[in-house]
Amino acid sequence: MRDRTAWFLLAVGFLVVIMVLGLPNSMFAAAPPKTPEVRLDISKATPRDVEEQTQAAVVRDYGKAWQTLEQALEQNKADLLSGNFVGYAQDRWGQTVKAQEKSGLSRRIVDHGHHVEVLFYSVEGSAMQLRDTAQLEVQYLDGGKVIHSESMTARYLALMTPAENSWKIRILQEIAPETPKQSGTSNASGPGTGSK
Amino acid sequence: MKMNRITLSIFGAMLLAMSAGAQNLNLPTDATAGQAVSIPTSGSGSATLYVYGPGTAIKQKIQLGEPIQLEGEQLKKSGRYTVIIAGGQDSSGSFFVSPAKLESLAFLARPSRVPASRPGVISGSAYLFDGFNNLVLEKHPVKFGLTIDGSSGGGRSVDSNNGVAWVRMDSGKKAGAAQFTATSGDATVNRVVQQTASDPCNIRMKAQPAKNGNILVETDPIRDCTGNPVPDGTIVTFTSTDQNGRSTVDARIKRGIAQAELPPSQSATISVAAGVVLGNEIHWGGR
Repeated sequence: MRDRTAWFLLAVGFLVVIMVLGLPNSMFAAAPPKTPEVRLDISKATPRDVEEQTQAAVVRDYGKAWQTLEQALEQNKADLLSGNFVGYAQDRWGQTVKAQEKSGLSRRIVDHGHHVEVLFYSVEGSAMQLRDTAQLEVQYLDGGKVIHSESMTARYLALMTPAENSWKIRILQEIAPETPKQSGTSNASGPGTGSK
Repeated sequence: MKMNRITLSIFGAMLLAMSAGAQNLNLPTDATAGQAVSIPTSGSGSATLYVYGPGTAIKQKIQLGEPIQLEGEQLKKSGRYTVIIAGGQDSSGSFFVSPAKLESLAFLARPSRVPASRPGVISGSAYLFDGFNNLVLEKHPVKFGLTIDGSSGGGRSVDSNNGVAWVRMDSGKKAGAAQFTATSGDATVNRVVQQTASDPCNIRMKAQPAKNGNILVETDPIRDCTGNPVPDGTIVTFTSTDQNGRSTVDARIKRGIAQAELPPSQSATISVAAGVVLGNEIHWGGR
């Protein structure tokens, strides 16, 4: 009786192993990081209207750029930026990553989406300025340990320019909320709410 | 009675904790890129200061009770700086650094080559930066001007909005290398826009017998409607129509004129055109 049970359990175990091995590899692979949600508002675009195809490209490439920036800031890898950032934006965020790396710090951004308004789209279509209102949760890390986190509504000004087959970010700088200009009290973090 | 004692003890403990090390960060409200700031701290003992900003990530030991000095070199990029003090009573806050004064312009002008006397064909956009490559967001007047050989071909002043000013201008009447400039404060940027003659205006030709019996046709100097010579190399088409059919010869303008030889004919109608512009017509021979 005992032998039978042992054989039965062995058979079941063997079947489970076969089933698991037969599953596609993709099921075990980590899910690819999700591109942040980007909603584009073209109602204020001037002096040129934004064509539908361009809208789709900007939404795709702006989202990708943020995904890349978040990875670069978390993993301290400045070279990740080169695919989506050029010029001053690449310098700015590249320096940020290098400074973090030097100090043993990093930051993790949980991205809850971007509301992006097109402010300016140049006559000849060579540059587009965006104002982004982003909902972000930022975790500040020291050697991999979260030392502080905060949720914030952050506003950015971005300038995108078309490259060979995508739009790249040339300027990405955070701008102050309209009012109040700053805040800084114990355990409160400016326009967002801080938590430790 | 017992309850009151407990409440008082908790309240006392809270007061003690607050007075011992509570930080009330007094962060700057008007920080400017490249300028140092001082942040006072309270309490005593040591703590760790963290500053996360654009282009900056600082971790250093500080003495509570002494002000924190952030150098201008550490605050070159405009944007949000988050300050965290860990140790004693943790505290955090953030402040914004605004761009410094305008120092440079990036100027995109299109196109690089344009026909003269065309309305709204030249566009330019100027991007305003401080000395640290931050986009300057304050409004600034930007003067756009177009000059050729020292004479003004038009100008306009536009206020920047979110660091950008743009303009659309007519091309000047004169052909040549026009200087398209954007100026704001002490910053000026020049771009060259090559203005070429527009379409030819009033093409006139004359015909005479060639030595070999053909018909030699030749235009007067070809100019656009404002008098600029149409560039050499522009194609001019001569057409001769007679009872045998039609003959067409394309000739390039050379030294301002175009000439060609058409096949001999007793009676032909000869016309000339360049692009969409037609010139005069000549009736050649008999009739």
